[in-house]
Amino acid sequence: MRSEGMGRPLVLLALLCLAAVLASVSVGSSTVSVGSLVSVLTGNGSELERTLILELRLPRTLSALATGGLLAVAGALMQVLLRNPLADPYVLGLSGGAAAGALLAMLAGLASVLVSGAAFAGAMVATLLVFGLAHGRGSWTASRLLLTGVVMAAGWGALITLLLALTPTHKLPGMLYWLMGDIAYAGSPWPALAVLVLALLLVQPLGRSLNVLARGSLQAAALGVNVRPLEWAIYLLASLITATAVTTAGSIGFVGLIVPHMLRFVVGNDQRLLLPASALAGGTLLVLADALARTVIAPEQLPVGVITALIGVPVFLYLLNRRGA
Amino acid sequence: MITVVAGLEVALTMSVAAADLCAIDALDRNICLPEPAERVVSLSPGATELLFSAGAGAKLVAASAWSDYPSQASELPRVGDSNRLDLEAILSLAPDLVVAWVDGNPRSQLDKLSALGLPVYWLAPRDFSDIARAVENLGQLTGTPERAAGRVEQFRNGLASLARQYRGARPVRVFFQIWDQPLMTINRDELISKTIELCGGRNVFGHLPRLVPRVSIEAVLEANPEVIVTAGEAGGGSRQWLDDWKQFPQLTAVQAGNLFLEPPDLLARATLRTLEGAQHLCQTLERARNAL
Amino acid sequence: MTVLHTRQLVIDIPARASGWPLNLDIRPGQVWGVLGPNGAGKTTLLHSLAGLREPRSGRVLLDDVALSGMPRRRIAQQLGLVFQDRQDSFPATVLETALIGRHPWLSLWQNELPQDLQMARQALVALDIAHLEDRSVSTLSGGERQRVSVATLMTQDPSVWLLDEPTNHLDLHHQERVLALLRRQADAGKSVFMCLHDLNLAARWCSHVLLLYPEGEACWGPADTMLVVPALERLYRQPLISTQVAGRKLFVPVAGGIE
Repeated sequence: MRSEGMGRPLVLLALLCLAAVLASVSVGSSTVSVGSLVSVLTGNGSELERTLILELRLPRTLSALATGGLLAVAGALMQVLLRNPLADPYVLGLSGGAAAGALLAMLAGLASVLVSGAAFAGAMVATLLVFGLAHGRGSWTASRLLLTGVVMAAGWGALITLLLALTPTHKLPGMLYWLMGDIAYAGSPWPALAVLVLALLLVQPLGRSLNVLARGSLQAAALGVNVRPLEWAIYLLASLITATAVTTAGSIGFVGLIVPHMLRFVVGNDQRLLLPASALAGGTLLVLADALARTVIAPEQLPVGVITALIGVPVFLYLLNRRGA
Repeated sequence: MITVVAGLEVALTMSVAAADLCAIDALDRNICLPEPAERVVSLSPGATELLFSAGAGAKLVAASAWSDYPSQASELPRVGDSNRLDLEAILSLAPDLVVAWVDGNPRSQLDKLSALGLPVYWLAPRDFSDIARAVENLGQLTGTPERAAGRVEQFRNGLASLARQYRGARPVRVFFQIWDQPLMTINRDELISKTIELCGGRNVFGHLPRLVPRVSIEAVLEANPEVIVTAGEAGGGSRQWLDDWKQFPQLTAVQAGNLFLEPPDLLARATLRTLEGAQHLCQTLERARNAL
Repeated sequence: MTVLHTRQLVIDIPARASGWPLNLDIRPGQVWGVLGPNGAGKTTLLHSLAGLREPRSGRVLLDDVALSGMPRRRIAQQLGLVFQDRQDSFPATVLETALIGRHPWLSLWQNELPQDLQMARQALVALDIAHLEDRSVSTLSGGERQRVSVATLMTQDPSVWLLDEPTNHLDLHHQERVLALLRRQADAGKSVFMCLHDLNLAARWCSHVLLLYPEGEACWGPADTMLVVPALERLYRQPLISTQVAGRKLFVPVAGGIE
């Protein structure tokens, strides 16, 4: 809650993030030395190194940064919205809608731009469906929203299984990799980064209201928060953020659930600090995970979701234990 | 002279057929039939094609989904997708031979068929000689060994002549793209890689441990292939995969214009048509060689 | 200083066919106690007074302005509420929780200022929880949490204080301390309106009492006119005797039932 001392963790996280980005652009199938990294960044270096760093690794790293940040921020927002620290960006079925859209597009053999578009459309359809259904006739609560979303998510899951079952075998790998989530699909990182920055600017003034909302809708209303409009605004914003992330890199799990949760152990639950911190930490985690996914068995590639879990689980358990002690 | 040898061969195989019909399958099991199979079910498109090549097309009573070659195969009744078979449909057809594919069909489902007493012959063709042997064995089991032997001889001769033709050709470095998202290729154990070798090419990712490894664009840039080939997917879209490489003009393959789309069906399945695919690919690589 | 009125207010209790219209005037300096058996609608009344629940009919007015037309933030500057149940799904320290009370007084872009922090700390001192400032609320006992809630309301510093069972979980000493605090706040010009279960605490600390009967009937007025044995016996369906100890009126339940 206190504004004093809020800057320090953010500066620390930003430095960590920068280090992760630099590490990520230096490693890959071949490691680039610090010297050649500097010469590439200053406009020199060999042509191969320039292509590797500027055209492949940097956009991919920035996409990982944006996607991780988006997912972590969306997770933090969903957790406040549902007053449930176990909520994640996908809990209300948004990734299911996106996956159904993307898989349908892949099944129809559409180009990758259209697959992304279909994923975004699917995510928005899922969002609006839950919005409409949970709205019902007036009375609704966070738990009604959660139940509606969880049931819709189950429905999407069934639809996805159906699509996979109907798909000819040779198209399956592409679909499965999409479902696992993969930064390799990302095109330009700028739309996702722009959405991340805009979202952070939008939620920053709402931070204190979110702190109050985290204590329940009645308490929030009693403290002067317009609960209903705020909740719908968060819901739509979180959905838009998640849809952007999913469109950029498929449904990467774990980041949205664990990063905000983990940060709460460290910096507390003041959303004004937690949200930007989540953006930085989520971005850092995904950048590191992607760097590892590209290098562990290079030149072969691992799905990044495997690595986020491999890094995240022990860190999370360590923090949980330390807090319990 | 040749006629005599051929006649002898026919006589020999016929005498074996009269005694017992046996063949060793890809799981090293000796499959014996009391008499030539008359009702055959094929559980993968590749198996269907090999059965037709072996002269057993008329004996097929059903096939798995996507069995589309030769065209008569499309009209066969279906018994499910290769990885999700309709066991009831298979049983109700009362087949006397089931031909399965190690890489596609679920073992547990097929074990049930074996347990019910149906003879299951497993295929797993990994190289040209496996394909040839599969056709011979299927001909044997379905009572058309001479027809199968004829097709196999053509196949072997065709391959031998390609081998002769390209033995001395200058090696070209080839990246064979299986898929674009994720970017996938093949290692040296894949039949396509063997075809590339046959044509005097070198698979730049032949050394990787996995059969169908997923690689990064970076790795391709570093390997700097002289040719990029894809068979793509049926129905198009894969021309785009090749065009996408043009954003990396430092690739030798891009500079030389060596981005080639091969006919999708010829290389995709390990059947006798791989000869046709190999002839096509060898020509492609020869064009690439000349463009360098 | 703010006056809270209700005009023909009928609270909405779904199972109840008809309601009893309430015309209350809750003025600065008054301490109201709401008494009634379980399910009589005490909490619903409190929520209706805070504008958190639509009444079946009638109006709630803050200084003659209808609550229903006011922005929530303005309401929260004049009227605050301590709930009976609290949600703490997320970690928060005691100080952070108290500081939440400043929310209605800060604009969107504003952060808490030093004087806000000072108000929160003063409230913690008043509630005897200053030493717990950095503790996570989830590690506190029920009584300590109750005091954190009151401290949050004190930090909010509205004119009208609504409290739902403020003495819940409190030990004897802290019951005294919290009620004395509420009394002092009323003396300083606040109006206090709270639900209570303890007749003797109501008798000791309240200037006014509202009796809510389970059928929806209600009566209200100065404490000494309301706290009489026959009315209370009917309210709780429990035989009582009253006695005087050290100059204070005490109610004691006795065996038996009332039809």
